[in-house]
Amino acid sequence: MASPINKTTLTHLAKLANIELDPKEEEKLLKDLIEILDYFKELESLDTKNIAPMTGGTDLANIFREDNERKSTDQGAGTEIFPESKNGFLKVPPVFN
Amino acid sequence: MKSLHNLTIRKFHEGLLKKDFSALEITQKFFEYIKIKDIEIDTYLALAEKTALQEAEKTDIAIAKGENIEDLAGVPLAIKDNILIKGLQATAASKILKNYVASYDAGVIKRLKNQHAVFLGKTNMDEFAMGSSTENSAFKKTKNPHDITRVPGGSSGGSAAAVAAHMAIASLGSDTGGSIREPASFCGVVGLKPTYGAVSRAGIIALSSSLDQVGPFGKTVEDAAILFKAIAGYDPMDATSVEKNYAHNDALLSPKLENIKQLTIGLPEEYFVPGTSKEVTAAIEESIKKLKSLGLRFKTISLPHTKYALSCYYIIMTAEASSNLARFDGVRYSRNEKADDATGLRDLYLKQRGAGFGAEAKRRSILGTFVLSSGYYDAYYEKAQRVRALIKNDFDEAFKSVDVILSPVAPTQAFTIGEKVSDPLAMYLSDIFTIPVNLAGLPAISIPTTSNLSSLPVGFQLIGKKWREEDLLGIGQFYEKLEL
Repeated sequence: MASPINKTTLTHLAKLANIELDPKEEEKLLKDLIEILDYFKELESLDTKNIAPMTGGTDLANIFREDNERKSTDQGAGTEIFPESKNGFLKVPPVFN
Repeated sequence: MKSLHNLTIRKFHEGLLKKDFSALEITQKFFEYIKIKDIEIDTYLALAEKTALQEAEKTDIAIAKGENIEDLAGVPLAIKDNILIKGLQATAASKILKNYVASYDAGVIKRLKNQHAVFLGKTNMDEFAMGSSTENSAFKKTKNPHDITRVPGGSSGGSAAAVAAHMAIASLGSDTGGSIREPASFCGVVGLKPTYGAVSRAGIIALSSSLDQVGPFGKTVEDAAILFKAIAGYDPMDATSVEKNYAHNDALLSPKLENIKQLTIGLPEEYFVPGTSKEVTAAIEESIKKLKSLGLRFKTISLPHTKYALSCYYIIMTAEASSNLARFDGVRYSRNEKADDATGLRDLYLKQRGAGFGAEAKRRSILGTFVLSSGYYDAYYEKAQRVRALIKNDFDEAFKSVDVILSPVAPTQAFTIGEKVSDPLAMYLSDIFTIPVNLAGLPAISIPTTSNLSSLPVGFQLIGKKWREEDLLGIGQFYEKLEL
């Protein structure tokens, strides 16, 4: 069976993941991903039809808490590390050009 | 400097109380030693000399006033750079966070600050904890203190090497698929990966949220136990953390031999297979012999889905990593120069992440995006979640007839720098014995063996039932006494 990944799908995935790749990176990554996905094929032989997926690392179901007022992080904490800010607000490049 | 080499948390604490030395004096000595030794080992990414000395002095003042001090008061610790300490850098060894300074303390750091522990600095790691050798750091390559041509293991290689090279008394790391246990084995120190939920993940730069756990490195099992006890417990800032009252569990630090002797240890046949080096095999056999001399019983068990764990893990972990890493977009955290001339938001994301992430972070983000993408979700991500359930069931079944499971930590001892760096699958296979534990959410420890065929350390792994760190730490503390 052909690998589910090729140069076109890789370009698409890189775009979805918002990662710019140069041609050399793309070539190495494609080779690695084909190899890794080929390794994953071993899972196909395992019958998991009647097994419920384990969706997290914990057995906990819901956790409830009282809906009370509580102290939160100070407004402004963290703003000092914004790459660009104005009056404590985060500056973002234009979304629509 | 000889005195630093012999210090454990216990000895340091007793020395303080007997006034053999002050906390300030020892902290100063650590910094003097780090400045010489770390040129060779490259353990620390940043030192926190000013705040460390201030904190050490507070402990000395408390002692002078005759106040009671906590076990960890004044103890010089090294902290992995993906754990947030307010006011210090937290880069997770990534260029994308090069200028990031934490604006709050992680849950584990709050607990350690309450005990007045001293933080010497932040340690090197694989970028975003992705790796098994610390070679994926964007900043430097940490060397194994036992042989500087070899890796310290990873991803918590800096924290393991810091303790092994006497540049900290103990340290914290994080373990997603073996990132505490493998470097502990490679560096000859003790490393504990707690039960998922035992220790808060709040304020940790997340790799894979259903697998990550913070845990201690120490020179002795007792030190690992002291540090574990200090960091464990419920944290309202981490919805998956659980209150298990570790703080009042005396068995963690004062195990009773009559209880330990009652435990049966399982040897999983799938973990004793060709492919493990003869040095590792011999060391494991030796440790089994020693544990038998304590009166512990052994039994062969089977964990039949072990061979699927690596695939299962790399699907789940990359899926979670791709979404955790989505937040590093160049808008809220530091921005690199290449993204400065971006035209619009989308271009900023692409340039920032293209220039800021290393090869492994890119590989995992893109692979994670793939396994979650529509059309492949069922075949990969959901399939892996089902296989994860099977792997957990294997352990549940095994723990009906045994209390603890023993295995190697890694198939080899520390490998040479550069040996596996260009072959991701070979690197991933270093974690084959540690990964199933994270998938099942269990606690496990790596303890150094004493006898081996080479001068490089080898650890053995003990895996426990959920919330039963006391079994691992108990066996370990008696094992250590055998060595004397």
